[in-house]
Amino acid sequence: MRRMAAIIGCGAVQVGKYPDRLESELALDAVRMALLDAGIEKGQAEGIFTTPDLRGGIGLQANLLCEYLRITPKSMAEMTCGAVAAGLTVKTAVNEIMLGQIDVAVCYGAERECSIEWFKHFGSALFEPVALQPYASYGIIWAYAMSARRYMHETGAKEEHFAMAAVRNRRNARHSPVAAFKAPIAIEDVLESRNLCSPIKLLDSSASLDGAAAVVVASAEFARRVCPKPVYIMGWGQYHDNSCIIPTDRCDKSISSFVATREAAAAAFRVAGINPEDVDVAEVYAPFSPHELIIPEDIGWFEKGEMVKAIETGETEIGGKIPVNTDGGLLSRGHPWAVTPFYQTINVVRQLRGEAGENQVPDARIGLVHCEGGMMNNVFVLILGSE
Amino acid sequence: MSKVDFAWPASRHTPSGREFWAGLKKRKLLANKCQLCGEMFFPPRLCCPACLGDRLEWFELSGKGTLYSWTEVFFAGPEFKTPFLLGLVDLAEGVGRIASRIAGAEAGELKIGMPVRFTFVDAGEDFTIYCVTPDTG
Repeated sequence: MRRMAAIIGCGAVQVGKYPDRLESELALDAVRMALLDAGIEKGQAEGIFTTPDLRGGIGLQANLLCEYLRITPKSMAEMTCGAVAAGLTVKTAVNEIMLGQIDVAVCYGAERECSIEWFKHFGSALFEPVALQPYASYGIIWAYAMSARRYMHETGAKEEHFAMAAVRNRRNARHSPVAAFKAPIAIEDVLESRNLCSPIKLLDSSASLDGAAAVVVASAEFARRVCPKPVYIMGWGQYHDNSCIIPTDRCDKSISSFVATREAAAAAFRVAGINPEDVDVAEVYAPFSPHELIIPEDIGWFEKGEMVKAIETGETEIGGKIPVNTDGGLLSRGHPWAVTPFYQTINVVRQLRGEAGENQVPDARIGLVHCEGGMMNNVFVLILGSE
Repeated sequence: MSKVDFAWPASRHTPSGREFWAGLKKRKLLANKCQLCGEMFFPPRLCCPACLGDRLEWFELSGKGTLYSWTEVFFAGPEFKTPFLLGLVDLAEGVGRIASRIAGAEAGELKIGMPVRFTFVDAGEDFTIYCVTPDTG
């Protein structure tokens, strides 16, 4: 797969609240920006791949976009698979390019106002295992809290260490063009914020917000023709650990380290022909701050428990061993959940193009995007590289 | 814990869970065993996760387990009075892990790895829920 396809354009609206806009309008904004950034004509987009519209869409939102743009793609799909869906749109685009079906695809997602109500009320009734626990709770914060508590138990991490990750993200968000939360916060602010599910507090959490983002994926040949700084897709890996949220099926599955992250990352590194330490900049999909510690360990940059020290010493800061979530992560960028992996991908592309401004990681050449669905049960890892 | 005001009408029970809920009314925590390959599993399903056979029987769990993790919930759905304690419990038989309310303990008393036992509390609409409580005996 190495260097057969590349990302040649990106577009995203700032994450926030858009009560007066339609999803399709936000999507259109992102797609237009991405086409403009790529410097191509709309008609050159032969593939259109999108994430689901959860506000009652019936799978026709890509069709709507095509009518709006007056384009006639040869390959098109709306993909759902939890929050890895955005990653899968890129995977599908590359697969289609490698099969010779298309030369250029637009992958995009838009989300508005759906998350909050949806997350409050889903959970109990959706899954057979969880359906047995209607008197547990709604939503999924409690599940991540169980994971965090277990990580504290096994590694000695304190709530302060989780807070440090939230503070790091906020510091990075300050110079992000798309982040929703930019006001500085301190560790005490996080510790004193409203309790949600101990040890997770409000500022340890990502806020469900509106957003729309798009990337243009092209064959390497096409990319070299039109794009001064193509960002190549070097590899990916995906793995599902056979549980849906909390692993209820057996007693031998860890929730302080996730096999799906480890396997997906290992597969991605293998395909890309690199080692974890070759990565210069990373985006990890951590909806809650404890997982800012857990995921980098599972990807392979740190041994289990080492992130407790590493978050203290700034190893994941810009300038550290492996800069993570350099434009705020889910916590400070805001989290339109299905669209988030597009924002993550775009931030890595900006880094690899050398366009990340104040947040630029010097000489960043290889970047990693991690996204997940469930509670780290289904993980997709994408590796990108500049020329 | 005395009677709890919480409704979970039978219409919302999944097919694989009906027997489980019926068991709770009789103060029994039930799990499945596959008649074909002998696999014991929890939570209940309509077929065996090992061999996919659909001839299943029910057996009663000991109702004992170990606290694997826990959280104090301050933010939940509108039906829930917060705060309350939730535990993740490894069933003693080793067949699975279950999320459960914790009754009869404060957050400060909870320790990962502590033994717990299941108790049963009647709730609204002829419905019984399970809780865990520290097992001091």
